[in-house]
Amino acid sequence: MTDDSTNTGRRRFLVGSTSALGAAGVVGAAVPFVASWNPSARARAAGAPVRVDVSRLQEGQILGPIPAWRGRPIFIVRRTDEALQALSTMADRLTDPNSDQPEQPEYAQNEYRSRRPEVLVLVGLCPHLFCSPTPHVEIRPEPFDANWNGGFFCPCHGSRFDLAGRVYSGSPASRNMEVPPYSFESDDVLVIGVDEENAA
Amino acid sequence: MSEAQETMNQVQAENSGAEQPGKVVGALTGLRDWVDERLPIVNAWEKHLSKYYAPKNFNFWYFFGVLSMLVLVIQLLTGIWLTMNYTASAEAAFASVEYIMRDVEFGWLLRYLHSTGASAFFLVVYLHMFRGLMYGSYKKPRELIWVFGMAIYLVLVMEGFMGYVLPWGQMSYWGANVIVSLVGAIPIIGEDLLVWVRGDFLISGATLNRFFALHVVALPIVLIALVVLHILALHEVGSNNPDGIDVKKNKGPDGVPLDSVPFHPYYTMYHDLGAVVVFLFVFCFVVFFAPEMGGYFLEIANFQEADPLKTPEHVPPVWYYTPFYSMLRAVTYPLLGIDAKFWGLLVMFGAIAILFVLPWLDKSPVNSMRYKGWYSRIALLLFVVSFLILGVLGTQAVSPAKTLLAQIMTVVYFAYFLAMPWYTRTEATFPVPERVTGRWISWKQLGLTLALLFALVFIPLQATAAEAGNENLEHAEVSFDDKGSLQRGWKYYMNYCVGCHSLGYARYERTGNDLGIPADLVVSNLAFGGELIGDLIGNAMAEEDARVWFGAPPPDLTLIGRVRSADWLYTYLKSFYNDDSRPFGTNNVLFANVAMPNVLHELQGDVECELHADESGGEICELHPVEGTGALSADEFDQVAADITNFLYYIGEPVREKRKAIGIWVLAFLAILYAFVFAIGREFGKDYH
Repeated sequence: MTDDSTNTGRRRFLVGSTSALGAAGVVGAAVPFVASWNPSARARAAGAPVRVDVSRLQEGQILGPIPAWRGRPIFIVRRTDEALQALSTMADRLTDPNSDQPEQPEYAQNEYRSRRPEVLVLVGLCPHLFCSPTPHVEIRPEPFDANWNGGFFCPCHGSRFDLAGRVYSGSPASRNMEVPPYSFESDDVLVIGVDEENAA
Repeated sequence: MSEAQETMNQVQAENSGAEQPGKVVGALTGLRDWVDERLPIVNAWEKHLSKYYAPKNFNFWYFFGVLSMLVLVIQLLTGIWLTMNYTASAEAAFASVEYIMRDVEFGWLLRYLHSTGASAFFLVVYLHMFRGLMYGSYKKPRELIWVFGMAIYLVLVMEGFMGYVLPWGQMSYWGANVIVSLVGAIPIIGEDLLVWVRGDFLISGATLNRFFALHVVALPIVLIALVVLHILALHEVGSNNPDGIDVKKNKGPDGVPLDSVPFHPYYTMYHDLGAVVVFLFVFCFVVFFAPEMGGYFLEIANFQEADPLKTPEHVPPVWYYTPFYSMLRAVTYPLLGIDAKFWGLLVMFGAIAILFVLPWLDKSPVNSMRYKGWYSRIALLLFVVSFLILGVLGTQAVSPAKTLLAQIMTVVYFAYFLAMPWYTRTEATFPVPERVTGRWISWKQLGLTLALLFALVFIPLQATAAEAGNENLEHAEVSFDDKGSLQRGWKYYMNYCVGCHSLGYARYERTGNDLGIPADLVVSNLAFGGELIGDLIGNAMAEEDARVWFGAPPPDLTLIGRVRSADWLYTYLKSFYNDDSRPFGTNNVLFANVAMPNVLHELQGDVECELHADESGGEICELHPVEGTGALSADEFDQVAADITNFLYYIGEPVREKRKAIGIWVLAFLAILYAFVFAIGREFGKDYH
């Protein structure tokens, strides 16, 4: 139907620019739909930092899976000297003994994966498919490991972690358990979700 | 457009441009052919788009079919997204809507799109139906299209009604109560049926939950199915046109009607796209700048949570139901020993039912109003007048004069249909042309018609209008930019109000951010002990105590800035006076015998009421503050009242300013887009004329 007077250049420009503009409009219209899936103010309020008094936590005991932070279980363990010594003997049995992968804040990238050697704070979820591992904190032979030095065993797919949350080689999980941001407000009060020491 | 269709578009576009199809084009063509051998996509594309030939003389009135499809898509998308955060229970529904409005990112926009979409849906559908009436689009062979269309309308009415119940505000509740109670008007089985429909002995959570299921699952499925049938039936017989003549009578040598153009790309890209952008512009203007539309799209009373013990003073339905609601109220005579209520129900549903048989009432030899006689033209005008007058009356409270007017208009409404077989047969019609005309109503004709319509609607309404009782309100300035005022307002609120009135849908954190108060100051100075920055602003009063002290728990005030105007709040705060006859020793001029004491007494001091006779013989109370009895001067106290008012107005809809700011960008974008779409339409439209 086109005749000779058809201006092909103008047509091409019009179609191209209008399509681009229309595409931008569609993207813009999608923004509210996409953004509404972000955590709401209520979810963010529920994810506020959590304060925990650890003064009554005895050596060799675990506090968890309560408290929860952002709805996720938190494990807090006060490790014995024996357990701390055992950690340094584990290197050849672990996938990432030096915590090279970024599963922890900077201040926890050390042998004990903690601010204070004796207090371990972990997000109680297996990095494999996010089941919550069962704590087996005592150093004793377990059905799943005759040389168990204390740690966590995931009931879903059998991943094993030591008492610093480091994953054993040969587990389905390939990363260490996550250390959440935390700090000590005072000697006894631990704040999960805040990085800075003595933060309000 | 499906992906397959897009693919085809590309294929066609690239084929026409390139001399030798490249590998990509070849692959896409292959894919299309592979699918087409298994699913008739090419056939469907041609039948419904590229080889669906529509008359070329479509005018303004032919935009509304496409637009109702657009609104349907908007409603489906925003509706699906709203269910992601809505809670369907009597206890949580209202709060979950406020959660969407405040806590969910862009939740307010999704909700306003959906609430405005509901009104837009009815608006475009009414205009679409009027088009049908005007050009005789319901006449043979298009009867089924009309019947499916009416079924769509009926489902839409139910869909809108049930959707309106979901926010569980006062209008939701009492509107549902009134309409559902109509079932009880049915003789003999009515009472039992009513209990069955409600699932309870009054409207309750059980009713809410079944309406939710119907609104979000059952009715949308029916609606979509009916839309498909509507369009399939249309594409079988072809579109009507403003001249109402059969374009298939004049075909070219290729078998294509001479007066037709392919629906795609002519109408889709070069004709309707501009209308879509213009519609979106108006639609977005309402969404971003007037989502309540003066209480017509979102009724003000619905910002109060449903209270089964307290009926609002006035329960008008949303505007799109008001014509039928007026007819329901207009029937005031019992007949044959049966309640007026039942006859009202019959008239209301009859008004919709009679539309279904319209194709068989019109006996005219011609289709379009352009060639029908003067009887038909006057009948249609009076029909539109009756519909509009009934619509306006339905938003107002009744009076004897208004009821009489509604009765007359109900008769006119039905007369349009019932007399149609007579006047369409009797009248002299005008000669119908052989081919479609490109004519357009002249400005003079248009102006005269609109003036006549306006006069016919306005004059009867004016004659029955009631004197509006207006309260004497003092004007209050509200400004979101005056952060100092808002901050003081919140401080006063936390000092004087929150002891009784929670702000249970607002959070400290968001309020602090909006008002420019750092989080640590909010926690240390404004929140009660132990509350976190992310918490809702509750209060410490136990509901049991409140019942004993005040008779009822003091209302939550998060939404009071939407329920009442800023002027009302300001005047209310300034209208307390000493009255020893009241339990707390104070009364209020604006809100007589309010249960609330004057909490600002220590600031304001004593106020004496001096009674004067007013012009109409009643008494008015003139207030005189007693100097030296309060901590603040009169001006200082006015500032306190203004600050609290400003704060309450803000917290009623915290997103208000952001909404308008985004709206400006959206409208600017649509304006630019329109310029391009218009240019495309003009450039490519040439090919078809």
